[in-house]
Amino acid sequence: MDSDAERGILTGKSAPEEKKPKLPVAKILEESIVRMNPAKLISNPVMFVVELTFFLVGIMAIDPTLFPVVSSGSEQVFYVYVAVILGITVWFSTLSDSIAEAQIRATASNLRKIEQEVKAKKLDGDRKVTEVSSKDLRKGDMILIEKGDGIPIDCEVLEGLAMVDESLLTGESALVKKAPSDVLIGGSILMSDSLVALVSVNPEETYLSKLISMVESSKRPKTPNETAISILLLGLTVIFTIIVAAILWLSIELNLGVDLSVLIALYVCLLPTTIGALLPAIGISGINRMSRDRIIAKSGKSIEAAGDTDSLLLDKTGTITFGNRMATEFIPLGGHSAREVGEASFLSSWNDDTPEGRSIIDLAFREGFVPKEFSSIGRAESMEFSAVTRMSSVKLEDADDFHLPKGGRDILQRRRVRRKYLNPDSGVELEISKGAPDAIKGSVPECPEGFDSTVTEISSSGDTAMGVTVGDEIVGIIRLKDKLKPGIREKIESVKVMGIKPLMITGDQPETARNIASEVGIDNFVSRAKPETKFTVVREEQQGGKVVAMIGDGTNDAPALAAADVGLAMATGTMAAKEAANLVDLESNPAKIIDVVMLGKQLLMTRGAVTTFSISNDIAKYFAIVPIMFASLSVLQKINILGLSPHVAVLAALIFNAAIIPALIPLAMKGTRFKPRSTMSIFLRNAVTYGLGGIALPFIGIEAIGLLLRLTFGGSL
Amino acid sequence: MHTLVSIPDALSIVAVWAIVILMAWVLGGYLYAIYTGKKGRLDRFFDPVERFIYRLAGVDPSREMSSKDYFLNLIILNAFQCGLAFVILSFQSYLPLNPQHFPNLSWDLSLNTALSISSNTNLQHYGGGSSLSYLSQMMAIQFLQFTSAATGLSVAVAIFRGFSGRFGGIGNFYYDFVRSLTRVLIPLSFVAAIILVALGIPQTLNGYVLVKTLEGGSQVLKVGPVASLVSIMQLGTNGGGYYGANSAYPYQNPSPLTNWVEIVLMMLIPTAVIFLFGRMVGNRKEGNVILVSSYTLYAIDLVISFITVTTIGPGMEVRFGAFSSVFWTVTTTAFTTGSVNASLAAFNPLVILAAFMGMLIQATPGGIGVGTMYMLMYIVMTVFIVGLMAGRTPEYLGAKITPRDVKLAVIAFLSHPLIILVPTALAYSMGAAGAVGAGKGPVGFIEIFYEFTSAAANNGSDFLGTSANTVFFNVSTGIVMWLGRFIPIAVMISIAGNMSGRVRNIQAGLRTDNLIFAAVLVFSIMILVVLTFFPFLVLGPILSYLEGIPNGL
Repeated sequence: MDSDAERGILTGKSAPEEKKPKLPVAKILEESIVRMNPAKLISNPVMFVVELTFFLVGIMAIDPTLFPVVSSGSEQVFYVYVAVILGITVWFSTLSDSIAEAQIRATASNLRKIEQEVKAKKLDGDRKVTEVSSKDLRKGDMILIEKGDGIPIDCEVLEGLAMVDESLLTGESALVKKAPSDVLIGGSILMSDSLVALVSVNPEETYLSKLISMVESSKRPKTPNETAISILLLGLTVIFTIIVAAILWLSIELNLGVDLSVLIALYVCLLPTTIGALLPAIGISGINRMSRDRIIAKSGKSIEAAGDTDSLLLDKTGTITFGNRMATEFIPLGGHSAREVGEASFLSSWNDDTPEGRSIIDLAFREGFVPKEFSSIGRAESMEFSAVTRMSSVKLEDADDFHLPKGGRDILQRRRVRRKYLNPDSGVELEISKGAPDAIKGSVPECPEGFDSTVTEISSSGDTAMGVTVGDEIVGIIRLKDKLKPGIREKIESVKVMGIKPLMITGDQPETARNIASEVGIDNFVSRAKPETKFTVVREEQQGGKVVAMIGDGTNDAPALAAADVGLAMATGTMAAKEAANLVDLESNPAKIIDVVMLGKQLLMTRGAVTTFSISNDIAKYFAIVPIMFASLSVLQKINILGLSPHVAVLAALIFNAAIIPALIPLAMKGTRFKPRSTMSIFLRNAVTYGLGGIALPFIGIEAIGLLLRLTFGGSL
Repeated sequence: MHTLVSIPDALSIVAVWAIVILMAWVLGGYLYAIYTGKKGRLDRFFDPVERFIYRLAGVDPSREMSSKDYFLNLIILNAFQCGLAFVILSFQSYLPLNPQHFPNLSWDLSLNTALSISSNTNLQHYGGGSSLSYLSQMMAIQFLQFTSAATGLSVAVAIFRGFSGRFGGIGNFYYDFVRSLTRVLIPLSFVAAIILVALGIPQTLNGYVLVKTLEGGSQVLKVGPVASLVSIMQLGTNGGGYYGANSAYPYQNPSPLTNWVEIVLMMLIPTAVIFLFGRMVGNRKEGNVILVSSYTLYAIDLVISFITVTTIGPGMEVRFGAFSSVFWTVTTTAFTTGSVNASLAAFNPLVILAAFMGMLIQATPGGIGVGTMYMLMYIVMTVFIVGLMAGRTPEYLGAKITPRDVKLAVIAFLSHPLIILVPTALAYSMGAAGAVGAGKGPVGFIEIFYEFTSAAANNGSDFLGTSANTVFFNVSTGIVMWLGRFIPIAVMISIAGNMSGRVRNIQAGLRTDNLIFAAVLVFSIMILVVLTFFPFLVLGPILSYLEGIPNGL
């Protein structure tokens, strides 16, 4: 999914798994007409002014005598043409809004399908089940979810262990394991076992409803750049109003023979109608693409801020690598055997349900390193991995009694174990720890020869080393291999060429970190990071005036997420993290932060490109209309470089001006295409395409339309 | 068809530019030292003088001012000086130093003159040599030429402080203003005046001299404190000459050498201010971009004016020849000085077109201090419009451009067409244009359009001259000059004040310190200005050119 999303953003195509919804044409047409109501159009000053001119020329067309001096009765047919084109210009603008809105409604209804009302099994104080509708659940309620049930609402697992299908939300078909304190998202389906969960939100506050309301909200707040563009457009409208009013005034005073309809045509051509018509659609399409990527933006500001990112903090695990490192080798040290290491690792990992832990058990089984102390493992006291000590350990107090562990491994393996360890020795107390090499090293009085060199060797080959102690002696090292996420190297490369500094954060050894970093092309990394390191790093980066983006999911990440300019939290993360972040990813795919950055950039570029294009267009329109505008000044024909006759020139310019709006709707919806390059070369490319292109295109376009008009109407124009 | 420019002419332009840029580079370093309070050897002399001025005025030059504060102090001081000039001009016949016994100026002419000089415009509806007493020339004209130039410099320095964000604010108006006078304008114009006297420009308070001519007739030699006025009028891009004919009058500009010296003087400080900008923002390349952009626009103006052979008509100053006159006219409008060495009416319409461009852009490089200010206005707009295409929120000097900046820059920009076009149309509606003999054809339109463009751009050159001494033109241009001066100043100081405290990002977006940006900026300025004024330029100089009428005939 993530590579698809990536491609989607970079090429402007929507993610393929999201079938392009069929847009309701009739509804769009109807709505676009309704939107032409001046009272509704007033929020878009440029188009509102165009509509006023439409009414004005409309009146001229009906009765030219109402406007003495500046109109003539013989031009009545021409006024009709002008009025019609002005009307169509306004309609094109409302049409682009309607299409954008229709698209987003389609997205919303797709999401709504997921959010359907379901029956929930609510537990009361005595654990009695009552069936209620998911709509009636409140925050703090306890619910029972059984195999096959849809998760009614966002909640947190209290008891049980089960597999969940989140594919409706994420499109990811692999089942996800959920254990106590994990987060369940409403709309996913429980595929095995049963869970007791605590409802964490009220129905109207679920992430899905937040996403839907973000999509549907008509009161979508403008981003700072959108506001600034609106101001610029208003300013340009005022300037052109002053100019046109002055021309009209002077024309009357100096008898220049200007026709009001021609002047209005010039006015409308000069107004930034292209960007004025498309600005709302660009904003809506941005939100739409975010929602297709299942990202909730708490404000439009954060999407734009993402485009400004200078420093990108990436967690190694989950973002750059899959994180489920697999044990591949037990390396004995200090006179111990591989078997001893394997058996110790086995014991210390039995209660470790992380992918690493399971891979260690698997490897030990495959090598036949099953320890005799296995019998007492059921009563062992285990200390889970802690981010502070960066170790986990198990203490076997009474290793003589054998209990077959419940559940777990297959029956054959269990039989083998039973045969081997039926009568163990008694009374051995044993403490086994495993963990990060430096933590392990610090926990024992002396370190065996070869420990450091082995750790360095493992780290420098990009793998992870894990030390194992028995009692207070290091017996060996486990080698774990990590796997890079597909396509991550290319993504990081594209981030780098755009001038964004990727920064990798990991709890790993410096050597391991350096290795992974160099493999994916990251120059800066922080290794042996503790949870609070992220916050420090964010602050340090911001000191230099950088805009920092990061991802996070744990409560520990919350301060850093809040401090970062762009914080993307995983939906499966803790509540604190999600509250602190300004973006939440429902798919919980950390690598998506890169896509968010690209989307932010693309939105900014699209707005800038259409604005520049719109302003550049005006040059040609001046050259088309001004030479023929002053009827009494025939000498101006010398600068009529397009060589169009008055009526043809005015109509051609107006038609070009109107037609460019629908022509650019796809650009507004999909965004300008861009390949990751340096900021300056992206800028130059856009400046040439939309700036210089914006100057040249209308000359060609108006001339071509003029030619067509002459061919169609002959001399009647 | 041959062009006006011979190779020696072109070389002389290059030589003038080279001299100006070299001198301005040196002066820029000096300006940086004074405005950032660097200790220097001259402090021993200047410090006590300035302390005395501060104590006399009762101001604390170390107090950091908000942008509102800064502007209020600036406008109140300028209004006070303007009022003083108005009183002196209105009552000059009762005041001393009036050996020629000139009468009082009418209220509207006094008003126009006071507003004109205090706004650094120096549009002259009065005949300087034939209606102003020595006291008026020195106290109402020359004194204000110093203070208005000092105001321009202060504005620039305050805005640079704000844009750079390295000074914790925009500074103190009195500190900038007093230092501009004591350490920049007075010493420089003193030196310049001595050079001009040495080159033959009169400087005396002994009244006009009556001489017998060779033919036996008699002639009055209108001498006076000319050299000191010429030095500041050029240095401070004021442009208001001692005489109505300005630098076409032999005593104000006696030789080709003084002609070149005066051109250099008017270009000097505006160019030095650009270097000051680069130093103050801590990246001289940023200053170089402005230098390249403004001189490119200036070069475009020159190319336009030299496209075709000039029609030399009556009123053309023949002492210097067509080339010098055209070069002067383009330069005086490009730097919005407004001094003239030949009658505008004599020029080919394309020269007038070039003159218009200078006054419509106002940043080529523009008037003292404010020229660079206008360039910053264009930069804010340009960076915002095109900067988005780099895929980042537009930044200038590391500060993000906010909606408020865009709003203010657009207000500054649109005030220019508003205060030019409305009174131009009004002049026709109210019959004022006809009253001064401006016809309805392109020539008449040029005269009226030029009058208000020159007033709004605080340039001061004009076609109408003393014939515009009517109540309508005196009042309307007076208002336009002050609005044209102080609206953009208020707005740009406000942007600067807002920007001074803004977080600075590492500059990772669109780079503004290279030639690519200079090219984009020149393009953008041409488009913005042409879009705004194209129809009116068509009705004036372009139509006049197409009709083949040498204007003014």
